[in-house]
Amino acid sequence: MSGGTIEHPAEQPLPARPARRFKMPEASLYNLSLGMIFLITIVAVAAPWIAPYDPLEQDIIQRLKGPSAAHWLGTDQLGRDLLSRIMHGLRASLAISAGAVGVALFFGSILGLLAAYYRGWTERVIMRLMDVLFAFPVMLLAIGVIALLGPGSFPTAAAIAIVYTPIFARLLRAPALVIASSDYVLSARSIGASDLRIIAFHILPNLASVILVQVSLLLSSAILVEASLSFLGLGTQPPVPSLGMMLSEGRNFLFLAPWAAIFSGLAILIVAFALNLFGDALRDNLDPRLRQS
Amino acid sequence: MVLLKRLRDRLIDLAIVIFGVSILVFGFIRMIPGDAVAIMLGANAEVTPDRIAAIRTRLGLDLPIHEQYFVWLSNVLRGDFGVSIWTGRPVIEEIGHHVWPTLQLTLLALVTAIILAIPLGILMANIRGRRGEAFVQAGSVIGLTVPPFWLGIIMILVLSTVAPSLQMLGYVPFTTDPIGNIQRMMLPAFALSLPIMANLARLLRSTLLEAMQQDYIRTARAKGVPARRILYRHALRNAIIPFVTSVGIMAGYLLSGAIVIEQVFAIPGLGRLILGAIAERNYPLLQAAILLVTCSFVLINFLVDVIYTLIDPRITE
Amino acid sequence: MKSLRTFTLACGVAVAAVVSGPALSAPLQVAVEQSPSGLDPHIVTAFSSFQIIDGTIYEGLTALDNDLNIVSGLASDWQISDDKTTYTFTLREGVTFHGGDAMTSADVASSLNRVLAENTGSPLASRLAAVDSIETPDDSTVVLNLSAPSAPLLSSLTSIAIVPAKYEDDTDTLQRAPDGTGPFKFVSWQPDVAITLEANADYWDEGRPALEGVVFNIVPEAATRQVGLNSGQYQMLPNIDGVMAQQFQGTGGVQLEETLELAYSLIGINVSRPPFDNAKVREAINYAINRDDIVAAALFGAGVPGGPLSPALTNYALPLDEFGCFTPSADRARALLEEAGIETPVEATLLVLPRDSTKGIAQVVQQQLAAIGINVELDIPEIGQFVQNWRNSDFDMFVSLNSGTIEPDDYFYRTFRTGGSTNVFKYSNETLDGLLDAGREETDTAKRQEIYADAQRELACQGPAAFLTYGQLYTAMRDNVDGYSISPTRSMRSLGGTSVTE
Repeated sequence: MSGGTIEHPAEQPLPARPARRFKMPEASLYNLSLGMIFLITIVAVAAPWIAPYDPLEQDIIQRLKGPSAAHWLGTDQLGRDLLSRIMHGLRASLAISAGAVGVALFFGSILGLLAAYYRGWTERVIMRLMDVLFAFPVMLLAIGVIALLGPGSFPTAAAIAIVYTPIFARLLRAPALVIASSDYVLSARSIGASDLRIIAFHILPNLASVILVQVSLLLSSAILVEASLSFLGLGTQPPVPSLGMMLSEGRNFLFLAPWAAIFSGLAILIVAFALNLFGDALRDNLDPRLRQS
Repeated sequence: MVLLKRLRDRLIDLAIVIFGVSILVFGFIRMIPGDAVAIMLGANAEVTPDRIAAIRTRLGLDLPIHEQYFVWLSNVLRGDFGVSIWTGRPVIEEIGHHVWPTLQLTLLALVTAIILAIPLGILMANIRGRRGEAFVQAGSVIGLTVPPFWLGIIMILVLSTVAPSLQMLGYVPFTTDPIGNIQRMMLPAFALSLPIMANLARLLRSTLLEAMQQDYIRTARAKGVPARRILYRHALRNAIIPFVTSVGIMAGYLLSGAIVIEQVFAIPGLGRLILGAIAERNYPLLQAAILLVTCSFVLINFLVDVIYTLIDPRITE
Repeated sequence: MKSLRTFTLACGVAVAAVVSGPALSAPLQVAVEQSPSGLDPHIVTAFSSFQIIDGTIYEGLTALDNDLNIVSGLASDWQISDDKTTYTFTLREGVTFHGGDAMTSADVASSLNRVLAENTGSPLASRLAAVDSIETPDDSTVVLNLSAPSAPLLSSLTSIAIVPAKYEDDTDTLQRAPDGTGPFKFVSWQPDVAITLEANADYWDEGRPALEGVVFNIVPEAATRQVGLNSGQYQMLPNIDGVMAQQFQGTGGVQLEETLELAYSLIGINVSRPPFDNAKVREAINYAINRDDIVAAALFGAGVPGGPLSPALTNYALPLDEFGCFTPSADRARALLEEAGIETPVEATLLVLPRDSTKGIAQVVQQQLAAIGINVELDIPEIGQFVQNWRNSDFDMFVSLNSGTIEPDDYFYRTFRTGGSTNVFKYSNETLDGLLDAGREETDTAKRQEIYADAQRELACQGPAAFLTYGQLYTAMRDNVDGYSISPTRSMRSLGGTSVTE
């Protein structure tokens, strides 16, 4: 995955017991990432109200200006305010990534849990299908999906969702296998609990922490994939601002006005950084090997 | 025996996955909207329905889709990937031209990452528990998440401001000008390597930290033996297994990252080939390129799995 | 093995490589944006192909100089019969193809037949539509008999390359290995890397070319081309737009050549879809558009607003004040919509050619149309999809670039005549059809000027397109490149007389 994080999802430690409260050895980083995510979310959600300008409003006379009191981050080639466009771009990028990861989580966990719970043919068919999807390098599969659906925000989200579904399915299958054969679940089954009930109330909650780590890492990664696709011109389409597209447009004016390229890339980095740091801190806490030191 | 059985199972899996990939690749690409023939005739050509039909027949596009698939597959199995719609060259030849820059770029990035990750990982382990640890940790996460294409653009900007007369951009084939080729590959390889470098350094850090806890290292230390060398050797050896397992993932990352980096640095590799083929609806070329790249990715992962099985006896449950 | 070698060397050299600039090599290093799709002069349509082969590898019977005058090419002379239906060409002596064969009238006849052949699928075929038969009385004479007088014929022949007769039925070879008569011959094509030409030692024009060769480096990334010219790695960036040219202004060691393009940007309108079937709506769109803003915003001031013909066609193009709708007025536009009985807001999709300049134009136009209540959604597909939708008239409106020549007939006939091959607007106007038919056969210049003046008036405000801008075209070169001059057609034919001083 382009610029994505390269953790191996299958390498997640199995939580042998229900999630516990976290101890935070690297509390400062955890707090930093939490604070950043909080701020980023506020900016993204409130962008329409707090952005100083309409992100689409053109002002030809003011185009390609550097940072100033009127335009804190400068303006782009059509004289649009970069700060406002980055705020709205952030909103678009986060919405696409969160939507995609959410959908992947939904379908991925259903498939992974079904495979673990029913075993046999169900498992074989599901996991082979996941293997096939997982066999593609991420960008290649995403580009393929977009070639099929056409460029745009929705196809980008769909592409990322398809690419990440096998990651969740694989991630959840292994620990779910362990839990599904645990005494705890066996006894629930023996007292006649329905399959759905067992999966939803006994297996899934046990996996919450693993899921949370993976969601934040994949969100970080999804931001980068979305940016890559938009950078290649396959993602969000103009005039709607998106960070990758702003970077791609900005590089045409790199020597006249580097601001658009610099700031939009920086924004991508900050979001991906915060999410990854958060996931990382969470995982360190879950990983028993690192906790002892 | 257990190993053999596992190998056999993995081979069956491999065959199923590759078959699935071939169907997906073929189906995907044929479902892409846009008619190869209309595009082929070009924006200004005089298009008549007869002419379109003639070309469709020539390309086999008039057959039902499942027949197209089997014709394609049987040709592929005989090593015939067809000819590129645009240039008329055999597809395999076109891909051959574009494989080397990508291979060179990804290998250079991998080597750069490994070389730089070792001192970085040691540094990160040494700083454990000291002031500045949080900065180094955060720095490694920045390394993981910096968009390589942005880093590339920033490097171009800096380079052209600081040293406008350096000729470090563009592409020259290695066979034409080896030194010029390496010069021009340095920036893209570095940009591409950063996330891998960060990943490897972090891996090394955690194996080092783990090794420091081992009894015999403690003993050696207690005896006053300069334990540093033992420690590093031990840790580096321990780092090999997780390194091998992450090679497959890294290969996927490198291929994906290369697609974008090649755009930034104007490198004529597989990424350019694939994006160009999509824009041109060059079905045979696109199919072959995606199929070959994906299959090599699958094979790399298969080999990783086999090696992993061989070097880690715990797997053979 | 190669990768292993590369790899091993990479390790050593990467560390040791002292980064330095190699000395200039004698062949001219040119950096172009796009890889051509092919090099067969009778098949290719894109500028990316045209600029590499036209006048460098291939030549026609006639040629255009950079002031757009028709001059002799491979035909040293020609006679036109009194009834204007017989053209007799005398071929230049001592012309050989790069393959070594002498060029004769048989090659000329075969080339023209190749263009006309259905099997070739040449987009140039319609330019020879008037040719009824071709005779070759001797090796150095070619006679074209026309079915009716054809004013554009000599201009059309400038674009028809003469290739060896053996390729008449072969549509594959020349795509990859061109063989012509020009000052440079084809050496190699490394896909997506470079196309290399070397000097043709047997060129008929003594003393040319002055360069050992030309290397067209394919460099899609603008910043890389730009840094490359600054560092001296490339010596020429041909046919760049104003935005890029602007970034070179005031750069030491770089000179700029400029000219006004023949190609134009336009908003095409599908007249088969309401409400755009209503001429008043189309006129309203014209009034809503501020062309000066488009020039300023999307072309960075490097261009001019333009009507149906390029201002470069000084004999034919009408001044813009002849077209009332070119003075922007949102009030007038709204009034026209009201007269037409259209309820706003009107929702429409604008199909955008995926290029930087057209994307910029689209965003400006989107804002201008919103002001009169036409809400436009942008659809920016990949180029392949764009061409497909464009060809199938699957759009409400589109923004694109249309190429032009020195011949008004080339601008109008195919594109705006009823049933024309690129009339994707589905436009049909009997008055215009009559004018265009007459313009083809009329050979008197003054009468033609009148005919095409009427055609422009017919098209400008209520036609199926809003004609927007003609861009300024630039070529950036190192200071030591001499003798190159830019052509409005994007042809690089003057490379034949270009040299590099040290």
